[in-house]
Amino acid sequence: MPTRLKDLQSFLYRLITAPSGVGEGLAAERNLPRTGLGAIVLGDERLSAEERADIYANMYFYRLLDALKEDFPATLKVLGDDAFHNLATGYLLEYPPTEPSVAECGRFLSRYLREHDLHDRHQHDRAPGDDAPYLADLAGLERATVEVFQGPDADALSADAMRAIPAEQWPSLKLRLHPCVQVLDVEWHVADLLRAVEEGRDWQPAARGAAKILVSRQRTRVLYRELEQIEYRAIDVARTGATFANICELIAQDAGDLDEDAGALDPVAELNRLLARWLSDAIFTV
Amino acid sequence: MKRADFPFLGFGAGLRRPHYSYIVEHRPKIDWFEVVSENFMVAGGRAIEVLEEVRAHYPIVLHGVSMSLGSTDPLNRDYLNNLRELAKRFDPAWISDHLCWTGVGGRNLHDLLPLPYTEEALSHVVKRIRQVQDTLERPMLIENVSSYMAFADSTMPEWQFISEIAEQADCGILLDINNIFVSAFNHRFDPNEYLDAIPVERVGQYHLAGHSDHVTHLLDTHDHPVRDEVWTLYERAVRRFGAVSAIVEWDDNIPEFPVLIETADRARQIYDAVARNPSQQSLDANSPERSAKLPVPADHRA
Repeated sequence: MPTRLKDLQSFLYRLITAPSGVGEGLAAERNLPRTGLGAIVLGDERLSAEERADIYANMYFYRLLDALKEDFPATLKVLGDDAFHNLATGYLLEYPPTEPSVAECGRFLSRYLREHDLHDRHQHDRAPGDDAPYLADLAGLERATVEVFQGPDADALSADAMRAIPAEQWPSLKLRLHPCVQVLDVEWHVADLLRAVEEGRDWQPAARGAAKILVSRQRTRVLYRELEQIEYRAIDVARTGATFANICELIAQDAGDLDEDAGALDPVAELNRLLARWLSDAIFTV
Repeated sequence: MKRADFPFLGFGAGLRRPHYSYIVEHRPKIDWFEVVSENFMVAGGRAIEVLEEVRAHYPIVLHGVSMSLGSTDPLNRDYLNNLRELAKRFDPAWISDHLCWTGVGGRNLHDLLPLPYTEEALSHVVKRIRQVQDTLERPMLIENVSSYMAFADSTMPEWQFISEIAEQADCGILLDINNIFVSAFNHRFDPNEYLDAIPVERVGQYHLAGHSDHVTHLLDTHDHPVRDEVWTLYERAVRRFGAVSAIVEWDDNIPEFPVLIETADRARQIYDAVARNPSQQSLDANSPERSAKLPVPADHRA
């Protein structure tokens, strides 16, 4: 009686994704014929049925490991090869790929690191991130750079585009965040670590501290940096559909409020500085 | 399906990320590009910008790796709709994917797994190819994969399986010459018998690639130059199938783009030589084994 195609595929899936290889997967199977895998997969004197299935198991894991290494170079650098390998093994068990593109396989790595950091503290066990509690934020930033890199296109508001708009229309101009832009809420200063790894410099562990990281794209180049509070508030307002006049008003107010010890900031200089940066970094569209 | 659905584009290469800048800047002399569909199913950014530039100057075809025609999961409608939209935007000469399954139970293995060559699998795949062609509103090509497993339940050889599917689903065949060679070694069949059994009018494209030798088996790694034995098999294919578009695939240890141009040019030279001397046995001037018989995989290690 031939094995139904659906059963065959489910069976092979379990074998190929078994974390310690096909042998372990076979040991867990309850309905395997007495003649073993050889009753289903043909083996010969060169390669047994199990060795043939193992070829697929190895290709499955190492293809995904390579994809994760490519998208998370800083996480890899912090953990080292062996710990990253173990991280990938655990991660793929909990978050096996479901999307057609292999580039999506790392979509939940940051979530996994966050969940396991919490889980393992309860268990008094060691987790990949125990020596680097900032890993979930770091992986989150690395994933965001991937998403922004392939995010939606839109005409960015540049200095030239702004000049082409009649000045009398500026106050009512609605600035919208470019659709590829992301703002990350992090608990660790991970942007410097990622930059150091990308530039091939020595990296330092991330320091603790809440921050907002802006991830944007200047044509095809991904940019990321921590936002100053005044800039974050302006961008946050822009997300709700505020006008240019609203944003100017907010910056003027914040510049007066923010730095009381050092004296109020010059609102004109602040507006000038921030606007120049936004136009250069392609943060907004209209 | 008509042979004209898959016009002769000449000799091209797979479009890969390490070559983006070179291709955009130099517009190299190559006939066409094959594009991995999933790499461009993104909202925007660099990949889309490059593809627009490439498409402005070259014919392209879309080649998928995740349609999972053989899976028992339902066809992924979102995927097919994305593919249709991509095709509308970039107007490929045709669309292809593999005769395999890539996942089950909503999970994706990101690998090209072989099917058992049974009547059940055959009718299952035929039905799905018809559905895909209806959705895409065009005929497609299905590619033979390299495989390392064969199934006890199979009741026919691979060449009969793919030929029957192509006939019943009325689709074309993308013959991967290297995959035939790799599978022939791994499963001990004669690659010539494979080629000779494929219906001529169904073949719309060739793939050429390198593989790695693991002594007990060959792996389709696309990380080496095309082996001489594969060139010999390609020449035999050219004799049988005539003017069929060909591309070179290179996915690991990727060399500078001019190496791909040289490889595509070698395919062109073989084609031109066969066209000039259709009765001569072996015309690959670059092959040291030009007069050798095609290797029989079972004797490969003898």
